[in-house]
Amino acid sequence: MFGELLGPKYLNWLFDGFLITLGLSVIVCLVATLLGFLVCLARLSSLKLWSWPARGYLALFRNTPLLVQLFFWYFGVTSLLPEAMVVWLNQPHSLTLGSAELNWPSFEFIAAFWGLMLYTSAFIAEEFRAGVASVRSQQREAGLAMGLRPAQVWRYVVLPQALRTALGPLLGQYMNALKNSSLTMAIGLAELSYTSRQVETETFKTFQAFGFATLLYIGTIALIEVAGQLIQQSKRYKQGAA
Amino acid sequence: MDFSVIGDNLEYLMIGAYPDGPLGGAALTLILSVLSGAAAAVLGLGLGIALVVVQGWTRWVLLAVLGFLRAIPVLMLIFWSYFLLPIVFHVDVPALATVVCALSLIGGAYLAHSVHAGIRSLSDGQWAAARALGMQPWQVLRLIILPQALPIMLPSFLNQWISLIKDTSLAYVIGVGELSFVATQVSNRVMIHPTEIFMFVALVYFVFCSGLDVLANLLARKRGPVKAR
Repeated sequence: MFGELLGPKYLNWLFDGFLITLGLSVIVCLVATLLGFLVCLARLSSLKLWSWPARGYLALFRNTPLLVQLFFWYFGVTSLLPEAMVVWLNQPHSLTLGSAELNWPSFEFIAAFWGLMLYTSAFIAEEFRAGVASVRSQQREAGLAMGLRPAQVWRYVVLPQALRTALGPLLGQYMNALKNSSLTMAIGLAELSYTSRQVETETFKTFQAFGFATLLYIGTIALIEVAGQLIQQSKRYKQGAA
Repeated sequence: MDFSVIGDNLEYLMIGAYPDGPLGGAALTLILSVLSGAAAAVLGLGLGIALVVVQGWTRWVLLAVLGFLRAIPVLMLIFWSYFLLPIVFHVDVPALATVVCALSLIGGAYLAHSVHAGIRSLSDGQWAAARALGMQPWQVLRLIILPQALPIMLPSFLNQWISLIKDTSLAYVIGVGELSFVATQVSNRVMIHPTEIFMFVALVYFVFCSGLDVLANLLARKRGPVKAR
């Protein structure tokens, strides 16, 4: 049942897939955090012009499956774009910056990034909102009473406390983004789950292929967990909490 | 945009090839959700109570298993159960059962921690008082602790059920004919209207998920707000 290990060729496949999973997750988390923050601000805005679209965005993206969203962006939106643009997106391009050459990512990667990023940003926005809600309103009033302008109250009173509360759930969302990146195999991105499936079909070594992929996922999740623990035990974090 | 493609394929999207073939589409999504939601609730309740009751190394084993289930992608677990279940039980396990098994394991693992936290949120005095009245531990749990803890846990259960409804779409990868699978079939067959089809499918999921949310809010309001303790 267990048999021998995988050949180096297949380990390389899995490792390449893992790199794509990591790369995708990292840029998704970075961009989704920024967008999630903006959506959270819009959602908290007292102007209905801002808060209602944000409500709609959150409800729509949180209540539909990521898989369907990915299909929508990959198959659905492609059919709406002008043909010349689709052709351009599907062709390889490279950008030369000095000695470094940047390759334009595949269309699968762009669609996966876009879909996963929007989905993740909706969840991150809600974590930020919960963080802001955890700051008592007296804090804001006290800040205003001390003569700070509303923007300063946000910058120096509300945000530092809200971000500290939101840190744990935020890391949880990063873990979710990493796990959810596995769904992009359905639109043909050769990330870890996709390559493990590929190795499995080619070698019939189900245990080794899936076991290796599972270990890589668990290892990465464990690393995020450890990083979170380290941040929360760091001097700066504790000083702020006191 | 041309939504006539939805009308033409509405029956197939809703119930699959039924009654001539197997049930599929949105109806199968609902069945998958209900089955895995119920199994996840039972499993989560059992494991959560076990987390409270069990001590020593069995507790560590339990925590490790729960940690494992929470750390791997749902897709990976579906793959694992798809290939492991037939080997373990030496019978042909239908893909449908595989998905329900994987989803309820994941859902149960998440719920176990909510149940544990919900039970722990009650003060120790509740246990002590009930024990002082001469109740057996099992009676304390059933008559005193759970009736108070379950309303506290309700939001966690709801969130988990909503994410289970969304996760049933992953059955697509092993070829179960639920809504997402049927949608890609239709999309591949008609070739020209993927946008409309996937928008419609997203809408159906949206109705299911937010419907559950609204229903739960109505029920909670009918029963009156949970009293603060």
